[in-house]
Amino acid sequence: MLNKKPKQVDTSLRQFIKDLGYISGGAALLATTPWLQSFTPDKAKEIKSEKARIGFIGTGSRGQYSIHAVLAIPHAEIIALCDNYAPNLQTASELCPKAKTYTDYRKMLESSDIDGVIISTPLYLHAPMTLDALAAGKHVYCEKAMALTMDQCKSVYDAYQNTDKVLYFCMQRMFDEKYIKGMQMIHSGLIGDIVGERCHWFRNNDWRRPLPSPALERQINWRLYREYSGGLMTELASHQLEVCCWAMQKVPESVIGVGDIVNWKDGREVYDSVNLVYRYNNGVKINYESLISNKFNGMEDQILGNKGTMNLATGIYCFEEEANVKKSGIEQLINQIGNKIYASVPAAGPSWRPETKEKFTPYNILEGEFQVNDGLSMVGALKDGSDEILSSFCQACITGEKGKNIVEEAYLATMLCHLGNQSISEQKKITFPEEYKIPYMKFS
Amino acid sequence: MKDLVISSKRLKKEILIIAICFIVASIINIISVIIYKTPWYEIFTQIGYVLVITLVIYFMVILIRAIVLLIKKMFVRKS
Repeated sequence: MLNKKPKQVDTSLRQFIKDLGYISGGAALLATTPWLQSFTPDKAKEIKSEKARIGFIGTGSRGQYSIHAVLAIPHAEIIALCDNYAPNLQTASELCPKAKTYTDYRKMLESSDIDGVIISTPLYLHAPMTLDALAAGKHVYCEKAMALTMDQCKSVYDAYQNTDKVLYFCMQRMFDEKYIKGMQMIHSGLIGDIVGERCHWFRNNDWRRPLPSPALERQINWRLYREYSGGLMTELASHQLEVCCWAMQKVPESVIGVGDIVNWKDGREVYDSVNLVYRYNNGVKINYESLISNKFNGMEDQILGNKGTMNLATGIYCFEEEANVKKSGIEQLINQIGNKIYASVPAAGPSWRPETKEKFTPYNILEGEFQVNDGLSMVGALKDGSDEILSSFCQACITGEKGKNIVEEAYLATMLCHLGNQSISEQKKITFPEEYKIPYMKFS
Repeated sequence: MKDLVISSKRLKKEILIIAICFIVASIINIISVIIYKTPWYEIFTQIGYVLVITLVIYFMVILIRAIVLLIKKMFVRKS
């Protein structure tokens, strides 16, 4: 859970981009990740010793995670904190004793000292708070997903088009080194043509937080109620669907899905089990599954190519042609004889035989040791790109330069989540509605 | 308990059969290396598989010999 000691993280964007190989292959890197264009080493020099003055709206577990990260960023200082839940505000205030505290975010937005705000509140508050903050002339960083409804997403997107302020949504995989390198490899053709995408997120916990009083059930366990949350789709799938579109470089045109409350029948309204199929116009599909009553499969983002597979979450890739290569000649001969025996089982016909998973030679996307998120934490994982995206936002608060495509990626990911939820509730295939398409989206 | 006596002739015969089985298993290993284009050092590294196959062939030979012996005995009784 939350580590109360300040984390020792490398927040140097210059080093981060150097590590990604910007110096040797900048063009290729920026083609895959255009949002890094604002954070090249040269631009990092521009901020010199300036500091972004940051205010936090929402100081719960995720808010405190971000506070720890911002405290470690040399070009940022936290000057204001806001929360309507006193225990969280008190804890946050102990972390930032110099920061002024507020219980009403509108009052905080009136302060002219604040350059940017970081919003870590329940989903239903994202859109109104983001819109208010932009209207107040603040740069905004908001946790994912973008908003609770499709209309709210469109309102936020439209507001962003009409402002010169910076807007970020915490799609941290966009700043995760192994995802960026993995995408470079995918887009260079390493795994061939993408023929499928498989993402899943499995946990075994009830998603509940301890309650100091039953009256606070909805305020603290907001994730479990549709009035405040999109459930597994907005809380977990939004990250993974963004990755799929990033790899595919286009957006699925339709979705069909099912969802149920299978295990945690405790009065919650959101599903604890969802299975969805998103379909691109060329027939490639995203198979998405999330279940929070079994953690056997963990969390994975698999991009399947006709020449290989990229497992971005685990930071590993492998090639089709290398399947079973480690088997000796005699083992292969025995296997072949075995297959022929099974293939002639009369009851199931000659085509049937057990086709168990073959062994592949794994290669690491990154050299040396790297962090892999097991997907179990409800707050956030170390080195998953969260520190880098926060550092980028703080830099953008100083330069005023918008992060290219960040809002657009968050918009399409959130829209796909809502379309998924709509498909589940209406029990039918949903096609991406024309009124919610934006110029950024490519469907073919 | 009665002692089992294995004659040296019988012992030599069994050792010869096992040796032939081992040669056959080794040939199978060599053929596998050629067919699947795997490294030649597998002739030595896959010796475990060769020994298992040797035993399998040997027991198959024992089975065939036992069947032949049974059939022979049946004919001897009839005549």
